Amino acid sequence: MASNTVRIPAPAPNRNRVVRFLSADTLAGIQRQKAILGYLFILPAVIGLLVFVFGPMLGAFALSFFKWNVFKPPSFIGVANFTRLFADPRVFVVFKNTFILVIMTIAMLEVLGLALALGVYRLTNRLLATFFRTAYFLPVLLSGAAVAVTLGYLFNQDFGVINYYLGVIGIAPIPWLSSTNIVLFTIAITTVWRNVGFTFIIYLGGLTSLPSEVLEAAEVDGATGIQKFLRITLPLLSPTILFASVTDIIKMLQFFDEPNIMTHGGPGDASRTVVMLMRDTAFGAQDFGYGSAIALALFAVIMVVTAFQFYMSRRWVFYK
Amino acid sequence: MATKLSRRELLKIASASAAVVGSGLIPGLRIFAAPAGQDKITLTFQEDEKQYTDVIAAWNEKYPNITIQFVNVTGVDHAEVATKILAMLAAGQPVNIGYAATEATQLYAGEGLAAPLTQRVQDSKADLTEYFSDVSPVLVNTDLYNGDLYQLPRDFNAANMYFNTALLKEAGLEMPKEDWTKDDFEQYAKAMTGLGDAKDTFGYGWTNRLWGSWTPWFFVNDTNLLTEAQADGGDWLWSTFYADDPNAKGFKGGPLWPAPQANNPKMLEALEFVVSLTTNKYTPAVDLGGGGTLQGFFQSGKLGMTPGGGFWSGGLIQAGMKKGDFDVQYWPKWVTQRHQLGVGAAWLLDGGDNSDQAWEFIKFNTQKEIMEKIGFFGELTTTTPVRRSMNDEKRYSTSGPANWHVFYDTLDKLPDTAAIPAPKFSIQETDIYTRYTALAVTGQSTPKDALDGMQNELTALYAANP
Repeated sequence: MASNTVRIPAPAPNRNRVVRFLSADTLAGIQRQKAILGYLFILPAVIGLLVFVFGPMLGAFALSFFKWNVFKPPSFIGVANFTRLFADPRVFVVFKNTFILVIMTIAMLEVLGLALALGVYRLTNRLLATFFRTAYFLPVLLSGAAVAVTLGYLFNQDFGVINYYLGVIGIAPIPWLSSTNIVLFTIAITTVWRNVGFTFIIYLGGLTSLPSEVLEAAEVDGATGIQKFLRITLPLLSPTILFASVTDIIKMLQFFDEPNIMTHGGPGDASRTVVMLMRDTAFGAQDFGYGSAIALALFAVIMVVTAFQFYMSRRWVFYK
Repeated sequence: MATKLSRRELLKIASASAAVVGSGLIPGLRIFAAPAGQDKITLTFQEDEKQYTDVIAAWNEKYPNITIQFVNVTGVDHAEVATKILAMLAAGQPVNIGYAATEATQLYAGEGLAAPLTQRVQDSKADLTEYFSDVSPVLVNTDLYNGDLYQLPRDFNAANMYFNTALLKEAGLEMPKEDWTKDDFEQYAKAMTGLGDAKDTFGYGWTNRLWGSWTPWFFVNDTNLLTEAQADGGDWLWSTFYADDPNAKGFKGGPLWPAPQANNPKMLEALEFVVSLTTNKYTPAVDLGGGGTLQGFFQSGKLGMTPGGGFWSGGLIQAGMKKGDFDVQYWPKWVTQRHQLGVGAAWLLDGGDNSDQAWEFIKFNTQKEIMEKIGFFGELTTTTPVRRSMNDEKRYSTSGPANWHVFYDTLDKLPDTAAIPAPKFSIQETDIYTRYTALAVTGQSTPKDALDGMQNELTALYAANP
């Protein structure tokens, strides 16, 4: 006897809840799969951040409440390291030095970086433009230590090439590295020489992405070169300026290589920076708790300065 | 088998994992953890492998199951090396055998990082008697701390005066006699200043650090940055190995520096003298660090005199000078002719693994035929061997200087020679010393104000480290 019965598909086997959860048979399952894939992609970066950034930050925060010298177990001392921080005259000096260095280097970096970028941007000869782009960026690839050692020799008061040539034109030897009044300027120009290429590349990138139709319209309206620069280029470039200045300031607040190698912080503390004092305190004086407190103070300062920059940016940065 | 995890359990596991990761952030004391025993042993030695190639070949022949693994730590001076080693230990990277110069000897001993070798030395009397008989007692005294010996000296350097012979000749001068004085020195410095077509030579140059800085000047002015004393104890060493050595008289349990005295009148007099050398343009701007800059200027004929130990003879040849281009003499006499020195030696990690084998390696390196194989004591001597018998004409035949005997005679003929002042907190002490010295020699502060500031900070340092 022929059967008319319709075969009803057998119920799905008792699938694992996880497999059902991620099943590609449903829209929700596909979305879940995509989401998990996304998490997997960012996982290495998140692990790196947790282990190498947030972990040490938490570690430094915890250590700042302890006295610890590597040799003996840490002992909890509450906020004593922070009380000491505010009473320590050397902390005031190194923050002052760091701010002076930041102001000098940022002023030079931003102005010089933008000027160089404008110069190269206007070059019509592609070969020349490539040459200058490479030449200006080359120092960025050099080791900070190597630059500091070499420029240290050039700036040597008695045997340096710079004073030699100044002497040729009748200028007395300048104590570039041994005068408390000059040493920060010397370090600033060394740092600018090595870093200006990076700022230059950022500005050059910003300039090349400016909408040409706006500039052309201004030209048609009879705007002069200066008017175009001040009224169009600069405002359109303001997001780039914000980015360059924020990253440069964060970097320069962590000044270390140049003063450490060229002057070891001297004469006295005249060129010692916050990071140098932090290193000397933690690893030199084996006072890891106080060193961590200095590190946290610097972190707080960087946060405040950066937040202030972003707050102020609302008044001068124009997003298209 | 499927395992269900509740959210709570998952959080527990996550917390535990975070704790494990977090514990790695403060690993400090894990350096003392010992791995399980093993047939093949590896010892970690903080040194430059290149200098020990021949030593290791000999070691492997005798101890094929004990491998020596090297960790090289370098720095502009010994204080910086110590700083890096502490950072390494803080990061949980242990060494079985370290190497310390005087700058770090008391730091490692005083903080319990280095193990006292007293018992081991007493147990190895037969093996070590010949070694001690060949090593000046002042070098051994430097490695004693509170009555215990912590290191067996390998090399030393006392600050003698190096001369650029071409500049001496140009100034019409002969090498000074052994008993030359500070006034003679000043005449030499003046005569060798402003020579050449460019008139750009300087009579004397020095580097701002603890060893060989202006330290030799206050030593010969019969004073010191810190007061000096001897710890109790040490009789076990002196009566066993140095009973008949007159130069061992007065040594007890090792040097102590109980208090700072940076601004005493003699210190001020010494600093004023050093500053006057800069003011008179006999000395170029003073650098901080290891002396690399000075070496370049000395080698290129721009400097007449500079402090240096035996290490400089090989270093100057490596830098391009030839035998005869330089010579050496004792430090000039002022009130005294007392020299300052630093000693380098291996130390044993306290509580580390395989310490018996590590001690064996330290002892192995004290044998003369093994010491001769150390690269530093090769054809070019780049640091002075502590064994008297190794400081001979043959050693300096390639590099010179002609007056090479001065290196060891500084210990034997001037027995009041002593270690640089380097208490347990010498890294901080060096920082204070060099900072205020720099202010004085660059004219940013008067010598008196600089020494007063130095004294205040040193006093605070002593108070914080009772």
